[in-house]
Amino acid sequence: MRVSLHWLRELVDVDLDGPGLVKRFNLMSAEIESHEKMSTATKLTIGHVLTCIPHPDSDHLHVTTVDIGAQTLQIVCGAPNVAAGQKVVVALEGAVLPGDFKIKNSQIRGVASNGMICSLDELGIDHKYHQEDGIHVLPDYAVPGADPLKLLCFDDEIIELDLTPNRGDLLSMMGVAHDVAAMLDGKTTFSSPQVDEAAEANPVRVASQSEDCKSYYARVIQGVKIAESPIWMKARLIAAGIRPINNVVDITNYVMIETGQPLHAFDADLVKTDRIVVRAAGADAGFTTLDGKERALLPEDLVITDGIRPIALAGVMGGRDTEVGPDTKNILLESAVFDGIRIRKTSKRLDLRSEASIRFERGLDPARTKLACDRAAELFAKLAGGRALRGVSVYESQNLAPLSVKLPIAKIASVTGRAYEAAELADVWNRLDFAYDFADGVFTVHVPTRRPDIKTYQDLIEEAVRISGYQLIPTTLHAAAFNGYLTDVQKSRRLIRATLVGLGLDEVVTYSLVPPGIATAFDLGDRPAVRLLHPMTEERSVLRHSLVPSILDVLEYNLKRKAENVRLFEIGNGYSLSGETELVSGVLSGNCQESAWQGKADPFDFFAAKGILEALFAALSVKNVRYVKPAQTVAMLHPGVVAELFVGARRIGILGKLHPNVAAARDLPDVFVFELTFAALLAAASPDLIMREIARFPAVRRDIAVVVDRAVEAQDIVASLIKAGKPTLVDAAVFDLYEGEGVASGKKSIALALTFQDFAKTLETAEIDALVARLLKALGRETGAALRS
Amino acid sequence: MDIQMQLAALRAEAETALDGVASAIELADLKAKYLGKKGPFAEFMTQMKVLPNEEKPRFGALVNESKNAVNALFEARREAIEAAEVAAKLAGEAVDVTLPGRTIRSGARHLLTRTVDEIEDLFIGMGYTVKEGPEIEQDLYNFEMLNLPKAHPARDMQDSFYISEELLLRTHTSPVQVRTLLEAGGNKPVKIICPGKVYRRDDDDMTHSHQFLQIEALVVDKDVTLADLKGTLLVLARKMFGEDRQIRLRPSFFPFTEPSVEVDVTCHKCNGKGCPMCKGTGWIEILGAGMVNNAVLEATGYDAKVYQGFALGMGVERIAILKHGIDDIRHFYTNDLRFNRQFR
Repeated sequence: MRVSLHWLRELVDVDLDGPGLVKRFNLMSAEIESHEKMSTATKLTIGHVLTCIPHPDSDHLHVTTVDIGAQTLQIVCGAPNVAAGQKVVVALEGAVLPGDFKIKNSQIRGVASNGMICSLDELGIDHKYHQEDGIHVLPDYAVPGADPLKLLCFDDEIIELDLTPNRGDLLSMMGVAHDVAAMLDGKTTFSSPQVDEAAEANPVRVASQSEDCKSYYARVIQGVKIAESPIWMKARLIAAGIRPINNVVDITNYVMIETGQPLHAFDADLVKTDRIVVRAAGADAGFTTLDGKERALLPEDLVITDGIRPIALAGVMGGRDTEVGPDTKNILLESAVFDGIRIRKTSKRLDLRSEASIRFERGLDPARTKLACDRAAELFAKLAGGRALRGVSVYESQNLAPLSVKLPIAKIASVTGRAYEAAELADVWNRLDFAYDFADGVFTVHVPTRRPDIKTYQDLIEEAVRISGYQLIPTTLHAAAFNGYLTDVQKSRRLIRATLVGLGLDEVVTYSLVPPGIATAFDLGDRPAVRLLHPMTEERSVLRHSLVPSILDVLEYNLKRKAENVRLFEIGNGYSLSGETELVSGVLSGNCQESAWQGKADPFDFFAAKGILEALFAALSVKNVRYVKPAQTVAMLHPGVVAELFVGARRIGILGKLHPNVAAARDLPDVFVFELTFAALLAAASPDLIMREIARFPAVRRDIAVVVDRAVEAQDIVASLIKAGKPTLVDAAVFDLYEGEGVASGKKSIALALTFQDFAKTLETAEIDALVARLLKALGRETGAALRS
Repeated sequence: MDIQMQLAALRAEAETALDGVASAIELADLKAKYLGKKGPFAEFMTQMKVLPNEEKPRFGALVNESKNAVNALFEARREAIEAAEVAAKLAGEAVDVTLPGRTIRSGARHLLTRTVDEIEDLFIGMGYTVKEGPEIEQDLYNFEMLNLPKAHPARDMQDSFYISEELLLRTHTSPVQVRTLLEAGGNKPVKIICPGKVYRRDDDDMTHSHQFLQIEALVVDKDVTLADLKGTLLVLARKMFGEDRQIRLRPSFFPFTEPSVEVDVTCHKCNGKGCPMCKGTGWIEILGAGMVNNAVLEATGYDAKVYQGFALGMGVERIAILKHGIDDIRHFYTNDLRFNRQFR
């Protein structure tokens, strides 16, 4: 809501200064979006163009002499519409126009020019409000030497309120005046409209067939003459952000801004009947609104009809068939209240949100419906030569009585933590101009209909606190004892972050909404991704299954900017309609060691990546992770360098090398990728809670090398040994792999370090020899491995 | 010559000879010469055999004493030579300590998750627990139970991404509050914070992001007051922006709180004097808050005549932007490592 201070001063009896008002509004009412002068132009004066001749050295410039009262100036003017005899706005030497445009005396193509004749744009009045090209021509009665901003009523300040949806009352100058009166402890100075009615009775009969129409008031005004509105009204409309059109339209808009009540003027002669029937559109398929567009209607859309056909889309836009035009003489004026939600639905669907529809949505004061009708009639008489027929046609279903809300004085104390005096609260209600009763420590406040946002004692508390000031509220802390803590899950999430950061991975946060192809790019199998009903762009249209593609984007972005050894991770959700899965995902590229000085570069390979995960698993006490070649392929990964990770039967994630084709297409180096399922990881954790004995006898290490088919996995060899060697064999660790000369083709040699430990005694060589022999036998049986000779 | 004089001369001679010795080999040779089996002291001992028995002990003692003294000279020399050798070896091993260390780079935490942790820890210290909930949320929990019925104009404040008629990406973490209150069953106090990702239909630009992180706090009990909210906000403002901060409350509107306030904190850059950071006002808006609307309490099974509470909600990005002077919200989601690694 843009508020003209000129206008406001007319409605409230307090001294207003712009900055002071802004501060009050911010602290007590609504946030101020902006506070500005209507025009910031300086050193302007009214001039009378005495002579105007073509510039000797230009085909479009004119040389004028302009009387500015005390003297006559020669001014070169480029506007095609300049002419002798005009009264104009002159910016003098030293003037500063909006946009920091400084006016200096100068020579324009050899002719002295001392000032500038201004257009409205140059005064800072946006083109959308006047659509004038060229200089602005003032009325004849303008006096040279006088202040043109004053004449044009542009010597005004505008404060723009950033309104919250509950404060529909502040969408009217009257509502603003009420709040200003409350803030500054003043009084409103509204005058009642005086309507000089004709003897002839208003013939219109009004009816409603829909609950969405709350009230409908209609007047007929005869004999209007369509013309331009007076300067003051045009200026106030511009201040409010509305383009002046003609006196009839301007009056409806002016009264809407003043009272908050939207009005609509029909050309009475184009309305075929003397009836107004408001109803749901029902079978009416559509009609043409006054912007010339054919609008398709839904059965539930609310329409105004003449009893036969729709003539307006209620609260949204009038119909073209009954539009006020240059020849309109008689007006049927509508002042009505429609259901806000209905208006909102229709206006949103048709993309026709307007000053009127916003007011219906936010709620109107039912007490102003008739008032607005009368106020407009008064102005039609004053400014358009019209005369209202006798009487107002009425359909009314609203309760116009104030709503009585009780607020015990003890309640406001228990809610705010401050004991308010009864007198303090009485002062607040007085300032707000709310009637009240006070008995037995309870205020009964009779909230006027202009404040439909106030329905409960909580709402009254808000009024009391804001008008008396939030600074009065003390500062305390809730005393009751609560235990604050992180859950195990939350602690684990933090541990994962700390561990991966410690292992050299940078954390990233990326968007959940991704392009359609990307959402499923890292899928195993075929699952549809969740798509938004109305995405803003395809780029952000689908919820991702995996974080990996987004992290790869970050990798690519950083590599392009010369980052090296980029290792990234993210913890976030993958989404599907059945729910969300928290994922721990990462990419690893470059060298394991950050700098290779005095050492050799050691690029990441599968096993280095696996080492990172193993360190993470150790930190989380996730043990016995099995690496299994996936049954299904993941298109993004190298088919031979990929493993699904399991603990027992539980799948905890996947690790693999980015497919060389994918890497090449994005100009990426070797990249290793992992994605773990957070919940599975936690479920797999088996932390040691009770101390295990530290062995008192020495452990014995024995190295063996076995030859086995290439296809046999190291994991199976280790598992087979551990199983057979229980409990003395406590560890079997692969430390070398060999294929080639000395090993038959199709076979590989694996070297393992076996660690034997007996908790009761020192192991003898003979015992270990026997055990190793037994292990080899078992291993041979299970995997076909033989001791390498 | 008297034996004593002979021994003294021998000792002096050995001492002189030792002076020039600089290496372990030379020392060994010299030691063999004086103290070896064919050396002068051995010679003395053979002489002793011919002495009368009564003179033997004195003679032997004198020779031994002298021999020990010479031996001590040799030991001292040996230690000196060894020390010099070690010193020379160590001198050769000296390194240029200004050469770079071999980098073991730890990663950087993302500033957003780090800020979330910081705020979580602050609230945990005040007795709050951390509650989480789904990002794909039901309209019921995201709006309806928060006093935002369908077609309520206030829904425009949080234009949303719908997935179906009833499902949407949550626009705030308030649905976690609703879920927690429902779980609590209407008769238990609740003191929680709810961090998480939220989504709104905004075009991404310097100050808007269609995805952002929010942290909301909710306290419901029989005696929670607006003053308690103000006190909590003051703690938050001071822990996040410095102990000198002041706060002020301004009226605002959220359907789920009444009264509702915007919270300003004195500018930490100019300490409230007015600067470009606070647009000359001395105050910076940091979050929205209010007393829980009775409609929310009733919808979640609480008797609003008995229970009341406060709620507050902040954008994590906004807090981090203000605290660290970040000029564009998109930095958080671009993840340029030159940005991310500034904050660890």
